[in-house]
Amino acid sequence: MFWRILFDSIVRRKKRKGLAILAVWIGISLVVGLLMLSLDTGDKMNLELRSFGANIKVMPVSSSIPVTVGDYALTPSMDSSYLTGRGASPRPVILSEAKDLRSFGPLGLRMSRLHPKITPRRLSYLEESDFPKLKEIFWRNNIMGIVPRLWTEGEVNGSTVPILGLWLERRIPTETGEDFVTGATQLYKHWSIRGSWPSRGDERTCLMGVELARRFSVSLGDTLEVKGQRGSIRFQVSGIVSTGTQEDSSVITSLDTVQRLTGLEGKVSEADVSALTTPENKLAEKYRLSPQSLAPVEYERWSCTPYPENVASGIQDAIPNSAARVIRRVSETQGAVLTRIKGLVFFLAIVTLISCSLSIMGILASAVLERRPEVALLQAIGAERSHVLTFFLVEVALLGIVGGFLGGMTGSWIGQELVQAIFASKANDHLALVILSPFLGLGVASLGSLRPVLQALGEDTAQVLHGN
Amino acid sequence: MKTPVVILDQVDKYYPKGVHALREINLQIDQGEWTAVMGPSGSGKTTLLNLLDGLDRPTSGRIEILGVDTNRFGADEWTVFRREHIGLVFQQFYLIPYLTALENVMLAQYYHSMVDKKQAMRALERIGLSDRARHLPSQLSGGEQQRACIARALINAPKIILADEPTGNLDEENEKTVMDIFRELDLEGQTIVMVTHNPELGKLADRRIYLEYGRVTAFH
Ligand SMILES: Nc1ncnc2c1ncn2[C@@H]1O[C@H](COP(=O)(O)OP(=O)(O)OP(=O)(O)O)[C@@H](O)[C@H]1O
Ligand SMILES: [Mg+2]
Repeated sequence: MFWRILFDSIVRRKKRKGLAILAVWIGISLVVGLLMLSLDTGDKMNLELRSFGANIKVMPVSSSIPVTVGDYALTPSMDSSYLTGRGASPRPVILSEAKDLRSFGPLGLRMSRLHPKITPRRLSYLEESDFPKLKEIFWRNNIMGIVPRLWTEGEVNGSTVPILGLWLERRIPTETGEDFVTGATQLYKHWSIRGSWPSRGDERTCLMGVELARRFSVSLGDTLEVKGQRGSIRFQVSGIVSTGTQEDSSVITSLDTVQRLTGLEGKVSEADVSALTTPENKLAEKYRLSPQSLAPVEYERWSCTPYPENVASGIQDAIPNSAARVIRRVSETQGAVLTRIKGLVFFLAIVTLISCSLSIMGILASAVLERRPEVALLQAIGAERSHVLTFFLVEVALLGIVGGFLGGMTGSWIGQELVQAIFASKANDHLALVILSPFLGLGVASLGSLRPVLQALGEDTAQVLHGN
Repeated sequence: MKTPVVILDQVDKYYPKGVHALREINLQIDQGEWTAVMGPSGSGKTTLLNLLDGLDRPTSGRIEILGVDTNRFGADEWTVFRREHIGLVFQQFYLIPYLTALENVMLAQYYHSMVDKKQAMRALERIGLSDRARHLPSQLSGGEQQRACIARALINAPKIILADEPTGNLDEENEKTVMDIFRELDLEGQTIVMVTHNPELGKLADRRIYLEYGRVTAFH
């Protein structure tokens, strides 16, 4: 009989129960959607921020020797501790006979604007084949992107122009069996490109820096002949790129192509690496001030934390003759901004949870109070208080579970759409949230009705029934 | 020989704000008696009935029902006592809106002991409602709803029926039907306490108690 009453109560009062379910449904949808967004924010923001570029720069050791140009000191701001006592003697390569050689240093300085004239005594290179090893080092899971780059030069329309070769997209097999896919298309998402990246596999397309394009009046889709030491290639310009740095005055294409064109097979002049790092904290500072002051446990913790410096030195150890430098500004904001935004979205989700719970409780409370005569009648015809309480709570719990289940469904859809809209990428699966939402609905609904049911039970039955 | 079913001894009832609704009521109702409680509006008729069904408690005095002193009862004990021995009929025909007439009757069985659909159906037949058994209250007329309430009040064979203006909201024809049922119950020896304004209906009862300002002013 109990279940029959319950069944009738729900089935014969579809509209009212529907309303209660709807309230829970909408509330839980919002909460699940926002919670999903907040859970994904960490990951997605990381991806997003990573697309703002690399946070570690890898260079050959000799490149880090200071060079002065007029009043500009082109000193790589490198911690000398990175120049480890490897007795580094990188193979010197005398580059070309060109007198007017522009060096496009690996320093992120806007050299194209300065047009410094430097004649480096020697240039050294890293080996391209060393880079896949970065997915084998201790920090391999923190390494999110690797782009080896080769700066060289060639001739276009009779003048010498910088040429940049880089990994457009590369698959690196890893121990997990899943390929690690990386390259410029992923790491340089922030580059503004009119047109598109050179198509993979097609060696005859290139990007052209916006300044160079202006100089040669080249537009999208045009072709131009680039002469290197080992021949020449006719490229079609697939995109005009503007980065605000030296890329703006260069021709950019795949690393292989540039290596072949200039006879520098297997060589790389620098590399950008994007790594997930932890912002420096007290422990890192303590280490920096005095490494000896760390207790063994602290040292253990320090050495296992992906501080930018730790990751950089891991990279440096993996690539022979290299110096890895942290681009401090980027990696630090990355961590800090991330933590703050994550907190903000989580806060929003919690506020929504509270306000939705309150409004659901309000709706359910008025639904129960409307049924005061029923509560009184049940008692008058012989239902004990505990029975009435059980009946109402089981009913509302069922409504809560159904509403929560529906809310979990639509909520995860809302979450996906939010993540899609905000981060333009697919949301992670949050099965736990979907499984949890019926219970969330149950909890909110039961909590919301408990008080009003008790209140209705406490009311003067005689007064309710006799309408005095 | 008369067996007392209800004994009220010096019962007083105050409502909050000092309303003195019943004053020094001394009363005995015997088994098989049909008693009509009469009096002007506000004289305390409903209050008196609510003390007999345990929905309300006296401020002072003793109420003995079926030989049991009800003052000792807690709320749930009263509920159990009520469902065992007392059938209630209200002026508004309160039925659970989402249960059919039959299910409303069965609900009273459920709380009392065991659901017996056949018996519930017989109760509805008896008051001429068998063809409406599967209708929801909203699909029944006022008279039909009140008859369903009476069937519910009778289903557990209560020792006492308490009815507060059972025909107060009914037209004459339905009033007659309901009174016919009460008369039949009276002939069967059912103890009935019925509140009414209507002197015509009062005449049907075996005995009339007049209330005024919370006092019993006359017995007939
Ligand atoms: N819950 C209450 N709180 C305060 N006063 C009440 C309450 N219930 C009834 N009263 C008062 O007690 C007195 C008796 O009320 P009661 O309902 O018993 O009268 P009645 O004889 O049933 O009247 P009617 O014929 O109009 O139904 C009235 O003065 C009424 O205002
Ligand atoms: Mg009354």
